[in-house]
Amino acid sequence: MDQQTNLDIFTDSFLPLLQAGIAFTVPLTLISFVLGLVLALLTALAGLSDFYPLVLVARFYVWIIRGTPLLVQLFIIFYGLPSLGILINAFPAAVIGFTLSVGAYGSEIIRAAIVSIPKGQWEAAFSLGETRLQALRRIILPQAARVSVPPLSNSFISLVKDTSLAATVTVTELFQKGQQITAAVYEPLLIYCEVALIYLIFCTVLALLQRQLEMYFNRYFTA
Amino acid sequence: MIEVRELAKSFGDTSVLRGINLTLEQGQVLVLIGPSGSGKSTLLRCLNVLEIPTSGTITIGKVRLEFRPNSKPRKADVLAMRRQSGMVFQAYHLFPHFTALQNVMEGQITVRRRPKNEARTKALQLLAKVGLADRIDAYPHQLSGGQQQRVGIARAMSIDPELLLFDEPTSALDPELVREVLKVIRELAEEGRTMIIVTHEMKFAREVADRIILLDEGVIVEEGLPEQIFSQPREARTRQFLSLLMEEK
Repeated sequence: MDQQTNLDIFTDSFLPLLQAGIAFTVPLTLISFVLGLVLALLTALAGLSDFYPLVLVARFYVWIIRGTPLLVQLFIIFYGLPSLGILINAFPAAVIGFTLSVGAYGSEIIRAAIVSIPKGQWEAAFSLGETRLQALRRIILPQAARVSVPPLSNSFISLVKDTSLAATVTVTELFQKGQQITAAVYEPLLIYCEVALIYLIFCTVLALLQRQLEMYFNRYFTA
Repeated sequence: MIEVRELAKSFGDTSVLRGINLTLEQGQVLVLIGPSGSGKSTLLRCLNVLEIPTSGTITIGKVRLEFRPNSKPRKADVLAMRRQSGMVFQAYHLFPHFTALQNVMEGQITVRRRPKNEARTKALQLLAKVGLADRIDAYPHQLSGGQQQRVGIARAMSIDPELLLFDEPTSALDPELVREVLKVIRELAEEGRTMIIVTHEMKFAREVADRIILLDEGVIVEEGLPEQIFSQPREARTRQFLSLLMEEK
């Protein structure tokens, strides 16, 4: 049998790696980010509420998640919780871990964005007779969304790469797949660079989408 | 009719309004003058319940609301009272993500629950009235200060309030843009709108006001017809305030 050239190894492993990325890394990122944003918004609103117990709950959650490593959180959910009889499959366990992370970091971004909207905007809405919820939904959040796009895009791109941690809880995502191929062909430099390249492709696409989104939200300032 | 009885407002230990009483008939224009920090803006903001008064009673049209120290008014009462008046802010506070038209439609849709096409028709009328029929699709940042403030006036009128409140509507404007805004307010006065205006434009105040109130340190120092206040002020503090203004000019 002919010896495989590096190029052959590269091309043979590209498709399996890309598949792992599309089948696991992308859905893991998307699901966790969407759920995480919902959680982030709720946490931000709780943090800004007049009802102090709600503020405390929000702060406690953000404190725990930001103060402990994501890797450790994933291990607690996947390897730790079974001791309490809570068994969660690898993929949903990873989704829970990443969602909690996005929720905590994202809530601070959204809270800051809401606070950054001038008080006059609330007052103008109130003076028309709008309720707090109406003012929030129609006047404040659309403006806060615009302010949040760049920092939230940062979180999103970080998340794409953080999903490689899911390999440690047995999800066969992109990085895990790279480890498996490396074990078979023993070309760590080549394969891990290839893995890195595929992450780079994903993140580049996202960065381009971010530009589009920023332009969309800026339409009323640069028209 | 608008009636304010024994209205007081404190921020912590600082009392900003101390027992304000005033009555305004429908169609009348009241101008509030006074030095900065005298409580003029706070009084307007209390009427629109952007500030919750510490005590006193406010009646605007059919809505009456009594405030007591240490007891929050019910949310529904606050909303009902706010809907009785439209506020024009010194810094406009237009919604930057909405066009001029959308700014004037917003309250009609969310507060008055009008169907969109009806709100649109009314918004178009109001924008035409303030001379902006050709700028309905402009975003606030594309408009001059004077144009933004005219949108602000149209927005305040859009919810059909009993009373229009103007909080130094021309103070943030370049001098050449003041006239176009004052012209609109003057036309509203001629139409018989009930209005309370805080302004430092004394010439305008004299022309447009049915009555003038001079406020200082949270109390009404003097109240009267424009002619009387400007020509024969009774109180020393009124004379002092007016002469200070003359020096500035």
